[in-house]
Amino acid sequence: MTAREGRPVLKPGCRLSAAGDVLLIPEGALRLQGPASRIVEACDGTRTVEEIVATLLKQFPGADETKVSQETASFLNRLSERGVLEFV
Amino acid sequence: MSAAPQALIAEVTHRCPLHCVYCSNPLEMQAARNELSTEDWSGIIRQAGQLGCWHLHLTGGEPLLRRDIGELVRAGRQSGLYVNLITSGLGLTRERLRLLVESGLDHIQLSFQDSEEEAANMFAGVTAHAQKLRVAEWIREHRIAFTANLVVHRQNIDRLREGIRLAEQLGADKLEIANVQYYGWAIRNRAALLPSREQLRASLPVIEAERARLSGKMRIDYVLPDYYAKYPKPCMGGWGRSLLLIDPAGRAMPCHSAGVIPGLEFPNAAREPLQAIWEQSAAFERFRGEEWMEEPCRSCERKEIDFGGCRCQAMLIAGDAAATDPVCSLSPQRFLVDDLIEGVHVGKSNEQEWVYRIDPVGSR
Repeated sequence: MTAREGRPVLKPGCRLSAAGDVLLIPEGALRLQGPASRIVEACDGTRTVEEIVATLLKQFPGADETKVSQETASFLNRLSERGVLEFV
Repeated sequence: MSAAPQALIAEVTHRCPLHCVYCSNPLEMQAARNELSTEDWSGIIRQAGQLGCWHLHLTGGEPLLRRDIGELVRAGRQSGLYVNLITSGLGLTRERLRLLVESGLDHIQLSFQDSEEEAANMFAGVTAHAQKLRVAEWIREHRIAFTANLVVHRQNIDRLREGIRLAEQLGADKLEIANVQYYGWAIRNRAALLPSREQLRASLPVIEAERARLSGKMRIDYVLPDYYAKYPKPCMGGWGRSLLLIDPAGRAMPCHSAGVIPGLEFPNAAREPLQAIWEQSAAFERFRGEEWMEEPCRSCERKEIDFGGCRCQAMLIAGDAAATDPVCSLSPQRFLVDDLIEGVHVGKSNEQEWVYRIDPVGSR
């Protein structure tokens, strides 16, 4: 499953903190800044990356679509490389 | 003012059904009758959440020997903490695991003594391996993180590949292979456990190849034995810098073997507020920062990487807790470690002679 067609979901044992600003993982924690929490929240295994980007654009009207799309994809790929997220 | 600790390590009991020849718990263990109550632990866990901790590691001994472990998991989750259980798997049933997951367990670390049943049971001094295999199956029925921990030493380091295959078959997300560290009971059996330099050298390409083979499937951490290192480990991420440990009786310690250092008084977290203990107590201040450092640490550019290494090891080998960790190649006392290695490998040791850890605290 590639990032392009898959639906991202957090791996078992990875979750957002109650306040939503920290991604808790087995080895530690990643502080999320700006729209990063919104992106992670949207990774519930039901939405494609494209759909997540569309949701973000609604939440941040006026944002540059190309930029949001590129940055979201690269952020999700980084999480995937760290073993925090998978595409189903 | 010190930053908040990242994790609370709750050593909820020293009781354990295993008798591992390399047990890392302190030589003087806390008896069952001294263990904190559920209420005390819940209060400490709540304070850890308020203090800004992210993780709660429930460990022991065998934490499952406490009947209230589910309540402690729930207390952790309700305090906003990420809850990790470090266990041998003994005392777990499928139903009990389900209840722990429902209470909010995020991650389980299951220990293995070997990939082969007979050897594993021999190192643990008890029949435990088959139960661990069952536990691993139950774990995979849930969406929690699963780390397998494999302890290696001279008697089994030549079979790393088999250990890695086992963890892979069990479906672990991560395998942590840790060489025995020489604290507590392990010192007693050092002569039978310390691998040779050749064994260690041969292990590295195995790890590298298996990491590549399993990339994206299972991560492998490999912890080398200190004695062969060029530089020391950043023990506990630096004294009083990121980890706060509470022993079964409530004593707050920067590290679980810190009791070997004379002159330290550990405040009790059941009686004193956790924040004051972390920020102000003399025990946590003792080796915090750089003021305590001697040369060669004081002027070393690595002092912010390894924080002078391990204070307990400095005490145990060099007899001075403020000395540079003697495993460091820059330490003037490195020869003590080299002598230890040589002493172990020049014929004096008999591999079959070792001493099991008999639980001196029992279940009193």
